[in-house]
Amino acid sequence: MFNQITDLNGNEWYLISSLWLFLVFFIVVAILLFRMRKSHTTYMSQLPLIKEESENNED
Amino acid sequence: MQLETFNYDNRIVRNFGIATIVWGIVGMSVGLLIAIQLVWPFMNLGTQFTTFGRVRPLHTNAVIFAFVGNAIFMGVYYSLQRLLKARMFSDTLSKIHFWGWQLVILAAAITLPLGFTTSHEYAELEWPIDIAITIIWVVFGINMFGTIVKRRERHLYVAIWFYIATFVTVAVLHIVNSFELPISALKSYYIYAGVQDALVQWWYGHNAVAFFLTTPYLGMMYYFLPKMANRPVYSYKLSILHFWSLIFIYIWAGPHHLLYTSLPGWAQSLGVVFSIMLIAPSWGGMINGLLTLRGAWDKVRTEPTLKFMVVALTAYGMATFEGPMLSLKQVNAIAHFTDWIVAHVHVGALGWNGFMTFGILYWLIPRIYKTELYSKKLASVHFWIGTLGILFYAIPMYWAAVVQGLMWKEFTPEGVLKYPNFLATTLQILPMHMLRAIGGTLYLSGVLLMTYNLVKTMKKGKLLANEPAEAMALQPLLVNEKSMHRRLERKPALFMVLALIVILIGGMVEMMPTFMISSNVPTISSVKPYTPLELQGRDLYIREGCVNCHSQTVRPFRSETSRYGEYAKAGEFVYDHPFLWGSKRTGPDLLRVGQKYPNKWHFNHLLDPTTTSPGSIMPPYPWLISQTLDTTTTASKITAMRKLGVPYPEGYEKTANHELEVQAQKITEDLKANQVEIMSDREIVAIIAYLQRLGTDIKVNVANK
Repeated sequence: MFNQITDLNGNEWYLISSLWLFLVFFIVVAILLFRMRKSHTTYMSQLPLIKEESENNED
Repeated sequence: MQLETFNYDNRIVRNFGIATIVWGIVGMSVGLLIAIQLVWPFMNLGTQFTTFGRVRPLHTNAVIFAFVGNAIFMGVYYSLQRLLKARMFSDTLSKIHFWGWQLVILAAAITLPLGFTTSHEYAELEWPIDIAITIIWVVFGINMFGTIVKRRERHLYVAIWFYIATFVTVAVLHIVNSFELPISALKSYYIYAGVQDALVQWWYGHNAVAFFLTTPYLGMMYYFLPKMANRPVYSYKLSILHFWSLIFIYIWAGPHHLLYTSLPGWAQSLGVVFSIMLIAPSWGGMINGLLTLRGAWDKVRTEPTLKFMVVALTAYGMATFEGPMLSLKQVNAIAHFTDWIVAHVHVGALGWNGFMTFGILYWLIPRIYKTELYSKKLASVHFWIGTLGILFYAIPMYWAAVVQGLMWKEFTPEGVLKYPNFLATTLQILPMHMLRAIGGTLYLSGVLLMTYNLVKTMKKGKLLANEPAEAMALQPLLVNEKSMHRRLERKPALFMVLALIVILIGGMVEMMPTFMISSNVPTISSVKPYTPLELQGRDLYIREGCVNCHSQTVRPFRSETSRYGEYAKAGEFVYDHPFLWGSKRTGPDLLRVGQKYPNKWHFNHLLDPTTTSPGSIMPPYPWLISQTLDTTTTASKITAMRKLGVPYPEGYEKTANHELEVQAQKITEDLKANQVEIMSDREIVAIIAYLQRLGTDIKVNVANK
């Protein structure tokens, strides 16, 4: 039903670009992280610990 | 601001919890049965419905989709409501989701022993059940996103990102891996063939591990671990990096399941590179989890729930280090097809999934029943029995793998295989398989202990089905948030789309060239479509689950070409819908078994394997002799194959059964000449025809030269 290729000789850019793709993605995420305010990350990390009224038997 | 009161739906959480326990016991009991079958073949119980080949998929499906699946829904339904400060979107959808999922599991439990299987690992269920899974998954998605929409907490906590990624990726994986052409109510052929089918299957298979066994559990870890330890997650920023890196990289790693096969080398290399890279985000998650316990390690000594969580995270760390190591070609050359992979999978399943599930159950059930755990002591006993069970399971399996892997490769000084008889290597590791069964027994005993403890806990308390809660209504946002990720955390639809794009990249980069580029097509002129009898025999091979124990791909190693023959070529599999390369060699590879033995040998071997291979642990298949081959399906099978690109001539389906009978007659005459009287319409004739065809196209080519 589908055709296929056996190798990408001469087209190594295809493989290298995959790694570059991740590197760029990783750098973008890292920049987003650095720009994040500590107050927000502190608030977010506390979210599961916010006690609801009903959680009367918490430790 | 207005304070709103509402209720959390604990009944659905409880229901999924009970289903987790029930299916866990079923799935693990079946696992124990098949472990014992590999030591004592009489435990196949002499019926076709209980043989290893048919029951092994039942075990994998039960523990993955029934035990882990229900545990995921239990964890998601509990944590999602609380993180969003909202009741689930629809109680009706929750019920449809619950009962629909149980029906899917029931359908699997009925159809798999009956032999209805697609043969794709962890996706064996036939097309109507695939459709049912899709519908139920969409119901889950609507319920989850509906809850997100009506939330009272603006930003989505990291656990919910993992749930969203799980939902969207599992949907993509399931749909792409379920493209099948039905030929009857419970039989279909994959539209992909050979190498392409293998790539799709292991893209799916690997990412089923990633997005069904890993990401939802990471989400649960990020919610339940801080709750249990009463500490916030160690680093929220690390969780963001962990999330995006993990979902980006994981999707690329599938081809490491196909190293040294006829999959194009560049795809194998990409799989290896991304597998190695995967250590970083995986360990990022593990470290983030373990460091969350900083300052709370004293609690680990006294709280069984935390004990389970610590071992779960440790097992996750071990499995996610081992996985990339196994993807190194040098390691893979020895470990692949051996019990090493079984051990690796079970360190993850028993340690990571099992232990985290137990930890959550012990923590959650008393809370929704508003009581204390019946016995902490019993929970601690469970912990130690379970830990011992994992050790007794994994260590003998590693041992068996190294022993057998090296035996397969060992040559004498004269340059011939030291163990040319595959069975010699199987018998060598039987003691290790016995120990594995003991490990499984210990682990299952722990689960039974937990069940008793939790039932007692439930009886002690009373389910708070609708747990009252209150929270401020969500107000319109008046300030512009500067951080892009912070904005993203309150936009679930955009978040889902971005996650979808991220997970699609890897799959597309690996699959597009393999599917679309028309140059260098490695067809082999001597490779012809299967005859109608061989095609029917192939479907019997699939029905009996032979692929669970026998591979059909010879790797380009001297040890393998000496043992089995010429290594596998991509062009040999172009008509294989589905591919049957397998992933484990409990028995020898069968790619070149065609014409290696006479028909009578196959007849005797299938009737009683110990007559041809003394000591064999393969079960007998006497029903293949008593059952008549169903030839009413031949025409539809030929037509379906032609639609999928197999070059059967137009109108061939009309004469196919005649050709089938002629070939069957030839085989029965040959058997008769060798003192075996059998009617030509029996199933065993078809499966012999298929086995005798395997790999012969290449042999014919060599003979012609």
